[in-house]
Amino acid sequence: MSKLRWRPALGNASLRAMPSTHDVGGASGFGPIVREVDEPPFHHEWEARVFALNRRLLQLGFYNLDEFRLAVERMPSEAYLASSYYEKWFIAVERLLREKGVLE
Amino acid sequence: MTTRFRCGDQVRTRAQNPEGHTRLPRYLCDRRGTVEMIHGLFALPDDRALGASLSTGRQETLYTVVFEGREVWRERSAEPLFVSADLWDSYLEPEPAR
Repeated sequence: MSKLRWRPALGNASLRAMPSTHDVGGASGFGPIVREVDEPPFHHEWEARVFALNRRLLQLGFYNLDEFRLAVERMPSEAYLASSYYEKWFIAVERLLREKGVLE
Repeated sequence: MTTRFRCGDQVRTRAQNPEGHTRLPRYLCDRRGTVEMIHGLFALPDDRALGASLSTGRQETLYTVVFEGREVWRERSAEPLFVSADLWDSYLEPEPAR
């Protein structure tokens, strides 16, 4: 983390506290992957709204894609494992908007 | 940051990831692979994730690195199996030929 030419929005302490729960590639014990026949893009209308909201906020430059990915990865382990895909998206978007002062 | 590797070079991924966001998955840490493709300079996602802009964050050469299944999954690997990953220069170290 030396020679940074910009000021990171997150402190190092906050990153050190970050779990690595998301990095489960190759881990066993999660059970088989269930493949849904004719799976729709979204299972609930709110999921499509979260998808669209995130795309628009990215496009408008409120945050970038890697900040979004990190926001998902920064979720506490318990919440990360208990949340669905788009629940994670929603939690990450809300957190980023709060941290950037867009939401109070 | 220069392009340290050429196609066909043997590389080893770093053993441990730093804190924060990175594009090197844990299952590819400390693994030997071969550079298959050089894509040119790309913004380092590790910096972008901390809010760096395209001009202030580091730019590094991005490579496609191919790993043999046995190298990645050890005795649990299917055969034949290859795993490719697009990895930034600082994720890699040169691997001595053997």
